Amino acid sequence: MTAQPPEPSGANPATDAGQSARAHGFPSPARDYLDGGIDLNRELVRDRTSTFLMRVTGQALAASGIHEGDEIVVDRAGTPRHGSVVVVVLEGELLVRRLALQTRDGVRHAALETDDGAAPREVGDLQVWGVATYCLHRL
Amino acid sequence: MGDRTGEHLALVDVNNFYVSCERLFDPRLENRPVVVLSNNDGCVVARSPEAKALGLRTGMPWFQIAPQAEAWGLVARSSNYELYGDLSARVMELLGRWGTWQQVYSIDESFIGLTGTPRQALETGRQLRRAVARHLGLPVCVGIASTKTLAKFANHVAKNNPHDARIDGVFSVEQAPAGFVDRLMQRLPSTEVWGVGRKSGDKLERLGIRTMAELRDAEPGWIRSRFSVVLERTVLELGGVACIPDADEHAGPAQVIFSRSFSRPVVSSADMADVMNAYGQRAAARLAAQGQRARTVMVTAGTSRFSGPDGSVSKSVALPRATADPIAITRAAVGAMRSVMREGVPYTRAGVMLAGLGPAETGQEMLAGFEEVEGADVVPDRHLEDVLGRVRGRFGGTAIGLGRGGLAEQGSWTMRREFASPQYTTRFSELPVVRA
Repeated sequence: MTAQPPEPSGANPATDAGQSARAHGFPSPARDYLDGGIDLNRELVRDRTSTFLMRVTGQALAASGIHEGDEIVVDRAGTPRHGSVVVVVLEGELLVRRLALQTRDGVRHAALETDDGAAPREVGDLQVWGVATYCLHRL
Repeated sequence: MGDRTGEHLALVDVNNFYVSCERLFDPRLENRPVVVLSNNDGCVVARSPEAKALGLRTGMPWFQIAPQAEAWGLVARSSNYELYGDLSARVMELLGRWGTWQQVYSIDESFIGLTGTPRQALETGRQLRRAVARHLGLPVCVGIASTKTLAKFANHVAKNNPHDARIDGVFSVEQAPAGFVDRLMQRLPSTEVWGVGRKSGDKLERLGIRTMAELRDAEPGWIRSRFSVVLERTVLELGGVACIPDADEHAGPAQVIFSRSFSRPVVSSADMADVMNAYGQRAAARLAAQGQRARTVMVTAGTSRFSGPDGSVSKSVALPRATADPIAITRAAVGAMRSVMREGVPYTRAGVMLAGLGPAETGQEMLAGFEEVEGADVVPDRHLEDVLGRVRGRFGGTAIGLGRGGLAEQGSWTMRREFASPQYTTRFSELPVVRA
């Protein structure tokens, strides 16, 4: 038996990984005992050790469906990709942005984008805090 | 112990845990001196490396430091046990996934068992350090060895060489270059050994044993006759013979732990509630015996290594106020465990830890029946409130209240949390704010 859990892939989230210790392995004997209710923690949280909720201020990503006052689900262990909505640390502040990754002349460049027409901001020392996976918007 | 012969032990702990928790959601605190203050903002309980460099020490009263804080750029935070407890439970759960077994040793330290060759164990140590950084943004140090005492020593080496790229936060006694450990042990005083206090250190010195290496090479039976069986075990452990059992907690002054392995697995939540009840009471009794009160209750449970993927669970809850009340502590432990354990999983060990300790003399316990509902610091019982309201209406606002709540003078126990950060992870109304 291997002692190491896999690094979470970020893709194809196992629906019960938030509850079970490992995304692989034997089917849990506990499965037989689950009752029928929908548990949003189970559905929205891939891994409860790495998942945090944050509250959004500002409208710069409104066209992406992220509005002032919304809550976002942020997975710190998620893998940031081109187009991911990410929480980044920039100048001592937590920001939510869309990530643009480009390779030019063999060098990878990261830029942070918004929906409000502002120019993408290239950042040399990108500090991704986590990857936003869901947005909770009150209707 | 038997089933782990030939295995490796890792001691993992979070660097400057409370400060690192504060920094996670407030990046402005990076690279500047930060201290976390005790209950009531009395004195320093945790320091960032920058604060240590300023000469600030644990236990210093805040009022002595405050006048210089601004000039130093020093930031103080009130202790936020809701946050620390939640992040601690996440760390422990994550670490438990790597270990063949786990013993949570304090709010920010855990022993885990690792399998494989010494080289593989070292690699696992590096992986779990990266995983905690990635999942939780917290820096950890990992010490790996064949015994708990040596793992503590290895952790010490990792922690005290933060700029050594070969170590990089993870040190294995078994994988160290030849002679390295020996030279280090010849240099370090015996009081740096886990479990050797100042008093034993003085006595050892009078007997000619000054260094860690000299203690390791002492004759165990002689040490037992001069000191105790506990120190004899320490000597054996320094020599690589694992002999400190799980239940033998060297718990420090910062927390109270009661944890045990079961004689047979506990499978149902009803049985586990009984376990939590018993352990919670034992922990509360120890707490009371020390004259202390706790702000945080953490529960842990784990399966044996062959029992499948549901390895470990941890959960922490903050008590509404510092207390040593066994009813409040037990209720919190039972509730926390119910929320994380999985019915049907055969748990082989469990524990209750009390942290955020402070002295008991500063206040008054809530009377039984008057304590607040779990997790709520609003919503007092309505009928009671009616009665209280009628009495107040007739005899005046301070005629009656809960505990000292009705006294004309505000009790000195009302906790000061002047520099409190939000309960980022445990209260929906206090989530960290991110700007779009």
